Amino acid sequence: MAKDLRAFLDELRRLGQDELVEVNKPVRPAQFDVTAVLEHLTLEKRFPTLLFCRPEDLHGQPSRFPIVTNMFATRARCARALGLPPERDKMELSLAYADIERHRVPTVTIPQSEAPVRESVLAGNAADLAILPIVRHFEMDLGPVLTMATIMRDPDEGFYDVTFIKTFYKDQPRRAGLTIHSPHHLRIMKTYEQRGEPAPVVNVLGHHPAFFLGSLALAPWATNDYEVIGAFLGEPLRLTGSETWGEDFLVPADSEIIVEGVIPPGEKEICDPFGEVTRTYQPQGLKQAFNVTAITHRHNGIMQDVFSGHEEHWYLGSIPKEGSMFNSLQRQHGCIKAVHLPNSGVARFTAYISIKKEREGIAKRVGMSALLESWQFNWAVLVDEDVDVFDEQEVLWAIYTYTDPSRDVDVLKNQYNIFHSAAGNQKIIIDATKPLDTVSPAKIQVPAAAMERIKLSDFGL
Amino acid sequence: MERIFWVECRQCHGNFYCDYTLRNAGLQLICPFCKEKFLPEEAASLDERWR
Repeated sequence: MAKDLRAFLDELRRLGQDELVEVNKPVRPAQFDVTAVLEHLTLEKRFPTLLFCRPEDLHGQPSRFPIVTNMFATRARCARALGLPPERDKMELSLAYADIERHRVPTVTIPQSEAPVRESVLAGNAADLAILPIVRHFEMDLGPVLTMATIMRDPDEGFYDVTFIKTFYKDQPRRAGLTIHSPHHLRIMKTYEQRGEPAPVVNVLGHHPAFFLGSLALAPWATNDYEVIGAFLGEPLRLTGSETWGEDFLVPADSEIIVEGVIPPGEKEICDPFGEVTRTYQPQGLKQAFNVTAITHRHNGIMQDVFSGHEEHWYLGSIPKEGSMFNSLQRQHGCIKAVHLPNSGVARFTAYISIKKEREGIAKRVGMSALLESWQFNWAVLVDEDVDVFDEQEVLWAIYTYTDPSRDVDVLKNQYNIFHSAAGNQKIIIDATKPLDTVSPAKIQVPAAAMERIKLSDFGL
Repeated sequence: MERIFWVECRQCHGNFYCDYTLRNAGLQLICPFCKEKFLPEEAASLDERWR
């Protein structure tokens, strides 16, 4: 059996309610019921995957599609999705991710008649987005938004690009707005636009979590993302012909639900606000229009969603970036111990980096390199190797103890970031390593020998 | 970081914000709370402070 969402949900179901909770009470996703449940759980520091079995669709009718959300809300579950030990969910997970993303697994194509995602085909007027239980996430959101991955195909080189794009329901059955900001999708879209041709786009609303984790790999231009995703699945990604373009645009055969459509050249729609990864709303703006041509789905297809601006959204950013950033910095400097993009920096703005510091000045060099790793970064914080970058209290302790603001904080101005924050277009390096060119107090520690000798169990603890 | 401006909906008086490229684009904004469509200059109020 090919890997799919259902098989993974079965695995989670066997692990119990910490991993999967099935909600049988009816919910109205467009009236914030789903995100209110998620927010309550988050406030209690509980992060199960949620399967809402009886959601309403956008017509206010019981939907045929259950919703699954919060799938990526723990690093351990992300590790499990990649077939890695869930207890090794910190730097080891990020490094394993970076290793997998270097591999490629060729795809296989199966006939449409055998593809699960084509068990039901809705084309033309039947392809009504409102039959989906699309989630409205936050108070100021413009409306319900699909939050999963989209696929585009470069018209010249033929490769498939997969990334996460928001799709805004526009109160019409077959019309939506797309907010494309990933560089490769934008480049493909512009090629079509320059030719005056509609750009095909496919929205994948449910698949094995490794599919989505793999779609976030930092692959170079012209990489066939389907083959990268195969590496993350650990098996060939099964493809089949789409409803709209047949063999000219292959789609993942084991998806739960697929929405096919086109970006008409030059047509725009008002999109946003939307509660983003930053925990603030993206401002309203003019974005690409999207005309739906077909919806295909499995029987009882499960619609997947991301709880944006929360844990699962952050881990979808931090896990793919930490490993590749570690490898890049290590190649340049050779002194890197660990890299973490903390949730406090929404896994986009801030990098905590520990180094083996052997001379003064190296921390800032590493910091400068780190800030070039992503245009989303504003802050690079450098700490010594004995500071656990996954323990924010330790990192903050290092800042408050070792950072001399007059010497150890540098601000690079007039940079660029699309996300809104007070740091805005500035890049900041904070050197929180212990200075080597002056004496400073030592960090307290219980002797290692005593820690080894004394066991809590010997004291009934 | 790109400039934004806040808008007060002329119908429901809900407040939301927009990219500044919409300020003088001649396009109708859409209130996320009541779906009213209106030009920026038709808003109940605007807050365009920026530094």
